[in-house]
Amino acid sequence: MSDRRVGPGLQEDVGIPTFDDRERALGAAPVVEPATPAEWVRENLFSSRFNTVITLVVGSLLGFFLYQISKFVFVTAEWAVVANNLRGFMVGPFPVEQIWRVWVSAYVVAVLGGLSAGASPNRITWTRRKRVVGVLVAIVATVLVVLLVDTMLVLTLTFGVVATAAAMLFVGRRQGGRLRRPLLVAWLLSFPAIMVLVVGFGGVSPRLWGGFFFNLVAATVGIFLSFPIGILLALGRRSSLPAVRSFSVVFIEIFRGVPLVAWLIFSKFVVGLLLPPQMNEPPDIIKALIVMTFFSAAYVAEIVRGGLQGIHEGQYEAARALGLSTTRMMAFVVLPQALRSTIPAMISHFISLYKDTALFVAIQVTDLLAAARRSAVGLQYFGRIKETLLFAGLLFWIVAFSMSRWSQRLETRLGVGIR
Amino acid sequence: MLRVLAQILFVVAVFLVLRELFLNAGFNLGQRNEDLSFDFMRTRAGFGIKEHIIAYSPNQSFVRAFLVAATNSMFVAAVGIALTTILGIIIGVARLSPNWLLRKMAQVYVEIVRNVPLLVQVIFWYSGVILTIPRIQDSLSLFGIAFVSNRGAAVPGIEGGADFNVWFLFALAGIIAAAAVRRYRTKLHDETGQPHYRFLFGTATFLVVAAAGYLLLGDPFSIRVPEQEVRGYAGGLQFSPEFAGILIALVLYTAAFIGEIVRGSILAVEKGQKEAAEALGLRPGQQLRLVVLPQAMRVAIPPINNQYLNLWKNTSLAFAIAFPDLINITTTMINQGGAELQIFSLVVLTYLGVSLLISLVMNIVNRTVALRGAKL
Repeated sequence: MSDRRVGPGLQEDVGIPTFDDRERALGAAPVVEPATPAEWVRENLFSSRFNTVITLVVGSLLGFFLYQISKFVFVTAEWAVVANNLRGFMVGPFPVEQIWRVWVSAYVVAVLGGLSAGASPNRITWTRRKRVVGVLVAIVATVLVVLLVDTMLVLTLTFGVVATAAAMLFVGRRQGGRLRRPLLVAWLLSFPAIMVLVVGFGGVSPRLWGGFFFNLVAATVGIFLSFPIGILLALGRRSSLPAVRSFSVVFIEIFRGVPLVAWLIFSKFVVGLLLPPQMNEPPDIIKALIVMTFFSAAYVAEIVRGGLQGIHEGQYEAARALGLSTTRMMAFVVLPQALRSTIPAMISHFISLYKDTALFVAIQVTDLLAAARRSAVGLQYFGRIKETLLFAGLLFWIVAFSMSRWSQRLETRLGVGIR
Repeated sequence: MLRVLAQILFVVAVFLVLRELFLNAGFNLGQRNEDLSFDFMRTRAGFGIKEHIIAYSPNQSFVRAFLVAATNSMFVAAVGIALTTILGIIIGVARLSPNWLLRKMAQVYVEIVRNVPLLVQVIFWYSGVILTIPRIQDSLSLFGIAFVSNRGAAVPGIEGGADFNVWFLFALAGIIAAAAVRRYRTKLHDETGQPHYRFLFGTATFLVVAAAGYLLLGDPFSIRVPEQEVRGYAGGLQFSPEFAGILIALVLYTAAFIGEIVRGSILAVEKGQKEAAEALGLRPGQQLRLVVLPQAMRVAIPPINNQYLNLWKNTSLAFAIAFPDLINITTTMINQGGAELQIFSLVVLTYLGVSLLISLVMNIVNRTVALRGAKL
């Protein structure tokens, strides 16, 4: 075990079975598969009288829902409301002639994402079930894209993103572990690069950001910026200096105790009052993003604090014995261990932060949700809000669900809680 | 020495920043001929609030309007917490059911609900579902005593008469008497071993006392069945579509998280406990109710407390469907009379205060649950 370097993205890709692999193989009880489908059904659905009742009740409910849902999706719904407002859903009021900036960003993310997935040491083991699910998802996604997108250019660009990611996946596989360190740097650089690309060189001011693009950008900004601030706050909360400690406690508790909506209202109405009068007031979106960063940082701080509490006293003592200064002890000994154990909680916080970006409608940002509401107001598609909300919900869901699955895989790979 | 110096520097820096912000606020407000006093709170509010639990009219003060908003939010949270706990436990148990269909359905539910922003769900339930059900003219009615339409729902409610408050004392006495009887039956059961039927006896005691009070006072209250009118319902307990929208969304959303917590804590109960309960001959329902859940609760309460706090804070999402909650009303107040800073500080205090209250109650619950374990 000790010969494996374990940390985010640093695990050596070794082919020999390791200790915990073997242990897992030994510990797993042989799975007794029922011999026939009939037997499986009897065991899982009709094992007792009570069980049979549940199956019948749940089954009929399920049938009812499935019937209603499919009737809505395939018969009553008018999906033109989504297809005709697709740009509004994706980028909101972003000017059309500047949309290439968003596409370039998408391609940058596709290249990096493909390479990272390819270079990642834990590949998906394709069981038969996963293959079937994968193929089905791919077919449904293709059909959806083809049905919703009506211009050839957008269609080509969309499939271009997928193709690029797939191509990079293979490149990443070839290159393997060599790419990991450069990729980490590239990811870190890609974020400011994309911001410069979108805003700079005659680009688009944040006032005009919107749609799903805004949700993704806001979540990324929040995650990137709140992480370091959160770590500082967590260290502050555990500091031996009472002044620093009490400041951190007050900061964290106030931001955590009040809902994000209230903070967004605060950013819109109050922040302007607190700024120097001679200063030009920044756009609402920027103020809101800054306040959201502080909000998120307070949560990150509490998660990191949990991680810090899990570090054994001996680690500090050992670091001291090696003659490390406080800063070095924290940076090289304590934090790496603490952060590793907080990965699941951190990702689930980031998922909820991403979901919270929908709250920006409170300050009249036309994000994905606002676009969904807005497109069902016009005369032509009046009252078609179920369609638009379902589509918006689907987009939100895809990203959040993938993140949570990714977190689960990461958790097993890093063996959080096992060592 | 260095430490003291560092702290002094830190405090001075924080103080300077805060002072700067305060001065800016003072200057900016001065430009608008406003100040930082709370005097405006006493003036007439002047706007109507559709729904209120405590009495309210536009002629009352801003203080009153703020209280209305706070109580509305708290009411949603209280009802929501009660319902979501029940649903959450059901979902958590269903996630572990031996029945494949139920288990999978609970899982699909959790995966869908957890990964879609709550605000999308709030608006979906309100605009997509509730507002599209039949209009008031064609209300759905249940035997003519309960109604549902897109104007809201109405069910029979209790209407207090003159002596309602006196009867309330009787009810209180009934509860105390019931508790005493319950304790007596428990003691008897412990000493003699005869069946306690304490729930039955307790309920009967309460009913007898309450009914005696009712007869003595002569109609202290009546049950009023709602009537359908042209624009709404009269009498009974009424729920607005906004209230229903935020409540349904909050309950369904939080229950998915509570379900996962319950599932996790049931799994955390040692397998031997369930096997022992089985060996004692308890039925599956009894195993769950008497052996597994009480122990699981011990693990589950701290994270469930977090979910309650989230639910409380998420009541703020009611702003999106114009339910008069804290955010909705305070934004109206800001738009009417300015005074952003003062109003926002009140909002912060209210949210923090109620959060503290919930944590306090949950800590007490936690202690009693933990105590029972310690006695064993």
